[in-house]
Amino acid sequence: MTAADKESQDPREVGTQLRPGLWHTINERYPGSMIEKTDLVPLAELRKPLSESRLTLISSCGVHTKSEPPLDVCHPFGDFRFRRVPSASRHEDLIIHQLKYPHDDADLDINVIFPIERLQELASEGVLGGLTENFFSFIGYNMDPERFEHSVAHDIAEVVAKEERAEVALLAPA
Amino acid sequence: MSVPYLKEAALAGDNEKMIRFVRLHLGDGNEDVGRKEMDKSWVEAIKILLRYGPVDETVVARVLSSDESTLALLYFHLHFHLIRQSGEWIHDGSR
Repeated sequence: MTAADKESQDPREVGTQLRPGLWHTINERYPGSMIEKTDLVPLAELRKPLSESRLTLISSCGVHTKSEPPLDVCHPFGDFRFRRVPSASRHEDLIIHQLKYPHDDADLDINVIFPIERLQELASEGVLGGLTENFFSFIGYNMDPERFEHSVAHDIAEVVAKEERAEVALLAPA
Repeated sequence: MSVPYLKEAALAGDNEKMIRFVRLHLGDGNEDVGRKEMDKSWVEAIKILLRYGPVDETVVARVLSSDESTLALLYFHLHFHLIRQSGEWIHDGSR
């Protein structure tokens, strides 16, 4: 940690997994975009072994099937929609549309950011009990955390719990 | 910059904060890059017009009669469209 990092250390970072100085750096670049959440929902306990659990994958990488139109990467506040990605999809069925991070490695192998084929293997080997019919993806760039929470996050949670009946969710940031 | 921060800036008439946000957005988090990107899209528009290709004025009129939210978003789409046209694309997949 540099001296500058120590000086800029925000008490909210203490005890978290944030890279030192990250809060300061992002708030300097995007003031107000780092928010503090205090009404956290506790993580759910795993009720049965993974080998008997149906898993879903949720990612902010913005991947979708090639047959679907892309999410809006030009909107300055972000896109408040999500895409269902059939869990049986292969690398060649999928595409990423994003402006804010380089994804040339993911274009060569989607699994580096959205490990769909690895999860298919784990399910077929019996390490996982199964996969939900669909996985989920959205665009991570978003400037309205409150609206995001009440739209994208809420809607994905509804579908994951009620339609897909997932028992485990793997969250993969991009 | 979060939307609440921008709303505050808009209410206070603080255009500097808002233009900084636009530059950051267009420059993927780099204000100087964003400024150059804005110039680049205008230069590309001028270059295209210098070719004096046919123009469909009815399309322009029809599009401009759309609602203001659609037009504002279209402005951002046009920016990125022109940047793509320029062949100097610095965004997705580039390092």
